[in-house]
Amino acid sequence: MWKVTIKGILAHKIRFLLTGVAVMLGVAFVSGTLVLTATIGHTFDGLFSTIYKNTDAVVRTKAKLGSGFQEQRGRIDTSVLQVVKSAPGVSVADGQVQGFAQIVKRNGKALGDPTRGAPTLGFGWVPDRELSVLRLTQGHGPEGPNEIVMDSKSADKADYKVGDRVPVVTKVGNQSYDLVGIVKFGDANSLLGASIVAFTPDTASRVLGEPDKYDFISVRADSGVSQNAVTHNINTALKNDNLGNTIEAVTGKEITQENQSNVRQGLSFFNTFLLIFGVVALLVGSFIIFNTFSIIVAQRTREMALLRALGAVRRKVLGAVIGEALLVGVAASVIGFVGGIGLAAGLKGLLAALGIDIPAGGIVIPATAVIWSFVTGILFTTIASVFPALRASRIPPIAAMRDVAIDRSSTSPIRILSGSLVTAIGIALLLGGLFGKQITAVGVGAFVIFIGVAILGPVLARPVSSALGAPIGALRGITGRLAKDNAMRNPKRTSATAAALMIGVALVVFITIFGASIRASVNASIDKSMRADYVVTTGSFGQGTLPLTLEQQIRGVQGVTSVSGVRSGQFEQGGSVKQLISVDPNQVNSLFDLEVSKGDIRNLGIGDIAVLDNTASDHGWKIGSQIPVRFAQTGRKTLTVQAIYKQNQVGSYVISNDAYAVNFADQFDTQIYIKTAGGANADVRARLEQVMQTYPSAKLQDRTEFKHSQGDQVNTFLNLVYVLLMFAIVIAVFGIANTLGLSVLERTHEIGLLRAVGMSRRQLRSSIRWESVIVALLGAVLGLVVGIFFGWAMVTALRDQGINELAFAPASLIVILIVAGIFGVLAGILPARRATKLNVLQAVTTE
Amino acid sequence: MTSTVQPPTTTGTAARAVDAYKVYGNEADENAVRALNGINVDFAEGAFSAIMGPSGSGKSTLLHCLAGLDSLTRGHVYLGDVELSSLSEKQLTLVRRDRIGFVFQAYNLIPTLTAIENITLPVALAGKKPDEQWLQTVIRTVSLGDRLNHRPTELSGGQQQRVAVARALVSRPHVIFADEPTGNLDSKAGAEILSFMRQAVREFGQTIVMVTHDPVAASYANRAVFLADGAIVDEMADPTPEAILDRMKSLGE
Repeated sequence: MWKVTIKGILAHKIRFLLTGVAVMLGVAFVSGTLVLTATIGHTFDGLFSTIYKNTDAVVRTKAKLGSGFQEQRGRIDTSVLQVVKSAPGVSVADGQVQGFAQIVKRNGKALGDPTRGAPTLGFGWVPDRELSVLRLTQGHGPEGPNEIVMDSKSADKADYKVGDRVPVVTKVGNQSYDLVGIVKFGDANSLLGASIVAFTPDTASRVLGEPDKYDFISVRADSGVSQNAVTHNINTALKNDNLGNTIEAVTGKEITQENQSNVRQGLSFFNTFLLIFGVVALLVGSFIIFNTFSIIVAQRTREMALLRALGAVRRKVLGAVIGEALLVGVAASVIGFVGGIGLAAGLKGLLAALGIDIPAGGIVIPATAVIWSFVTGILFTTIASVFPALRASRIPPIAAMRDVAIDRSSTSPIRILSGSLVTAIGIALLLGGLFGKQITAVGVGAFVIFIGVAILGPVLARPVSSALGAPIGALRGITGRLAKDNAMRNPKRTSATAAALMIGVALVVFITIFGASIRASVNASIDKSMRADYVVTTGSFGQGTLPLTLEQQIRGVQGVTSVSGVRSGQFEQGGSVKQLISVDPNQVNSLFDLEVSKGDIRNLGIGDIAVLDNTASDHGWKIGSQIPVRFAQTGRKTLTVQAIYKQNQVGSYVISNDAYAVNFADQFDTQIYIKTAGGANADVRARLEQVMQTYPSAKLQDRTEFKHSQGDQVNTFLNLVYVLLMFAIVIAVFGIANTLGLSVLERTHEIGLLRAVGMSRRQLRSSIRWESVIVALLGAVLGLVVGIFFGWAMVTALRDQGINELAFAPASLIVILIVAGIFGVLAGILPARRATKLNVLQAVTTE
Repeated sequence: MTSTVQPPTTTGTAARAVDAYKVYGNEADENAVRALNGINVDFAEGAFSAIMGPSGSGKSTLLHCLAGLDSLTRGHVYLGDVELSSLSEKQLTLVRRDRIGFVFQAYNLIPTLTAIENITLPVALAGKKPDEQWLQTVIRTVSLGDRLNHRPTELSGGQQQRVAVARALVSRPHVIFADEPTGNLDSKAGAEILSFMRQAVREFGQTIVMVTHDPVAASYANRAVFLADGAIVDEMADPTPEAILDRMKSLGE
């Protein structure tokens, strides 16, 4: 029987190639993701091993907030250094200081695009070279208060050389330094594209950290003393000095492993994120395999029946079909796996374009990449072929003597019932997951909905295609009419083809609605609640980078009546890490309406906190409630609820800037809100812009610009997701082309007749193109419905998270439909060409 | 396309082959298959002509070449005054659409279209509206009045062929080429189709050229031309089934 299988494949090379492509792309995505993350992980393993090669122990605060990449620890007093140095076996110990330092290019702009997220780091220059993470490649280390070194990548990008004077923005503002050396981060030219500047230890504690504080202390042991021994000795010394409860020493090996596992943890999130798109691509691919094999089985009914008539048992026919699928799966997995290695390079490029630079290093192919490529590729192919194979095995031998019957089972009540049931289960899972915060249930629910709609597909295909095709029929005359009829004639096939596209379109629509709703919510809250005339932003989410000196300077600008910086940070409450922001309580009311419902925000003191109403009622907090919290820097505190507000755009917790100054190590504003006398005007703006000159990452925006920039941030994320979803859509387009190609072969006689009675090649091409467009639009319309539902469900579930507006972005949805139509045209090109090449004479003669 | 009704009888030539050769393989090769081996034949306007011959005699090839569905290796075919071999593929398509009607043995109809849509297909492909009066005449002639909105699968074999004949008639083509139009039908349904075709020739002056190997079918024609081994070997005016049968026997079938 294998002979029949292999011959079957060889006889239909193109068909199997197209089917294989669908699996191949999905497998390539999976393999590419795994190879990429393994390569990155391996590179970092090496990087950290090199960096900590000579570090035998690290001394740091015991208390931490969060874990992994999010981990935050407080600073330690410089006096601890003496304690550490006194421990037996310690050869060298140096305090390390890290913080924010942004290089300013010759044109006055900040180095790198801060909206793309690569951090800008400042370090204290550790005198002991072997303990430093920085390796000097040129010049010398900083010796005077005005000397710095920087990483070679940044020096290249900003075109700075040793001897140049370089402006650097730190928490003390924009100041110029002499560049005296170039460094590498371990062996790498840079750390994930981050820029690095190092100052002398004294300067570093002034411009990066705090006076008399280190972030941590690195230790090198005497020769012959093990890491464990020196670490033990330091811990004993700390204990003797009554520091054992707050400060700990860990071995260099542990630090290396911690860092490595932090990177792996970060990568695993990234890995999962990308793999989701790989699985979506494979799901789409499996629809196409299912469809292709169904068509092949239908077309080969006679052949199968003949095999049965000649004595092949059912099991053999079943085996032959599944065998074909298996071979396609294996071949596609091999090619997809290899292609994935190439794709990893492409994804790396995509990340580099987003500003995340991955150090060069050999490609690492993990066993998981091999295993998952083959498991998913073969599994999806084989499972998708089981139903067509079962159908093939049920072909009775007598069918060899019959004409192929037309399938009419598309609207059976069982199908409607089971399809509706599966869809309903999917909807229940999705909604349950969304409102119960169970992300896995959301994913499974979405998957089940897709299957349910696919089961219902054949029922929907006829009426929907008819409606979609009606205007085409009316506009294009007989060619349009034929296109519509052909799209409707085999609802199962049409719907399975369209379902593949539906998945991609649904996800695109969902993301579009979600993004539009975020934008609309932000816009609405700006319109409703923002009283400030200007906002200074860095154009990026997350950690602030605006030195407090900027806020002070703005306060002095003529015409400015009210200013408040907004800082953001994390703290621990009820055992988990929460976000907070801080504002100036005396200014905030004139800048932004927090919709305070109880208490008064102006009363917010150092020991107080304001809470969002939903959060307060969840915890049963009232004005005057005492909330136990913990900060990375200052440890456990108890804060008093002083105000309860309704504005959910600012998160759940607000403290005063004074409280922030006390409890947080680094003081930077994320945003600065400005109110001017008599509203926004060109004069004030010019004076404000003057101040911005020395702060390259600060962007002064009026209300309209602020709204746009908020929208742009959402768009950046949307675009990334669109690119990743493109895979699933391209696969679906292949699917349409494949199905249509097979249908064209099936309709050889018909097409021959049409050509004989005078249909021109152009009319024929047009007819097939429109058929393709109708199938694509059917998929797009189904996707639109499912996607709108996803979007609605998601936005509704996140209503109390600051997404108050549900925006359907009709213009974008229309664009999606048009693009789907264009994809339909593209998918129709090859089948149409194939149809016009059919030999008319052979097609119309009986033999 | 001219839509002038042709007079019932004319003496013009509707289709013509001149020194027509169709050779599969190298023409110089003695073993090459010669489907048409130097054929010269005229088919008169307003006449019902039958091309007869045993299997492999080249009769279908001749019809296909005359109808612009196949090309000659050497020689010329004319449709009226137009030499088909000089036309581009696109022009040939237009000629087929506007000036030729077809009736094949099978696969005559588009399964997604109703009977009436199939009948008006060539007119629709030309982007025109059918001449309503003529359409009614044609439909009446083939007695399809109550089956017009049925799809081909809902029609019997005979009804399907009647739809095909109606389609061939509706654009008032210069010539209708019929390739074994009754080959898949029982004798009763076949006789009906042939009667309709003869009626179309007599009443509307339609020119029909039909390939058949059935002497009874050929007897409906005004004239029968006999082919053997790619050459015209005989012809017969107003043939009877018996006369044809005799002639065929001598050709070795």
